[in-house]
Amino acid sequence: MSLGILAGGIMIAFGALAAGIGNGVLFSRYLEGIARQPEAQGKLFGQAMIALGLVEALPIISIAFGILVLFGVLG
Amino acid sequence: MEITPKVKFLGMTFDVTVMIGTTITALLVILLVIFLTRKLSMRPSRKQNIMEMIVDFIRGVTNMMLDDKKASKYLSFAITTFLFIIIANTLGVIVMINSHGAVPAFGITQSDAEVSWFKSPTSDINVTVALAFAITIYAHIVGFRKSPKGYVAHYFQPYAWMFPLHIIDELAKPTTHAARLWANIFAGEVLILILREGTPYLTALPMFAWVGFSLFVGCIQAYIFTVLAMVYISQKIADDH
Repeated sequence: MSLGILAGGIMIAFGALAAGIGNGVLFSRYLEGIARQPEAQGKLFGQAMIALGLVEALPIISIAFGILVLFGVLG
Repeated sequence: MEITPKVKFLGMTFDVTVMIGTTITALLVILLVIFLTRKLSMRPSRKQNIMEMIVDFIRGVTNMMLDDKKASKYLSFAITTFLFIIIANTLGVIVMINSHGAVPAFGITQSDAEVSWFKSPTSDINVTVALAFAITIYAHIVGFRKSPKGYVAHYFQPYAWMFPLHIIDELAKPTTHAARLWANIFAGEVLILILREGTPYLTALPMFAWVGFSLFVGCIQAYIFTVLAMVYISQKIADDH
């Protein structure tokens, strides 16, 4: 049981780490784009949010499985 | 972790919570669309304006990948998918019904069991897998009917040894499509349940923030699910492929 908690914790931690890197790259580029072309902000915001949803998906899959392991539903 | 009541029928297990959730969601979608499309006129009323906004929004999605004639063929499908998922995602954030104690009628005997009666249907992986695989099977059928020869040849392009890669690609698409939606909604609901257990004065503010974020994520994921469904379908019927 303690190993399950450890495994779930590691899965959630690395999911959060990956999401942090991914969102950091995404939004730094988004801000760069606004700084270069302030009038494109409205257009870029929608695109950035879609990209956010796509980036956020894989870490959150890892987090969901991590939660299942943590609560002992899996493994 | 809460338990859901299950019914065994013809050797298959049916989840009562999911059945209640999907039925209510489908009913809500039908009633909403009927309510919004009464008394259509050239000078739109406020209700009609809302529906036209939704249709225009989804038309933007379908027109991204397909030309206008083909896009209008899949427009109603995309609107239905979008409305179903956005209402399913939102419903689970607004309403969650749990009961404590045993439910002998459904074979739950633990006296301390927390039984979930109503939650987001999309927070159950079976629902999203069913949706994603139905879309994938439909995309393959459409692609095959367009040109059977081209469909089969596509698996061996550009080189014949790439066939295994194509198979992995076709399997990974519905898997990630389903897991993306499920994981987002599931993680949101679990964190709401965890925050609900905590001290009220401490967890009230995070709860507010998280419920707002969950609504936002639900809308984004519904949009992304629709976009990806249209991408997968348009890949199969694109002319240059």
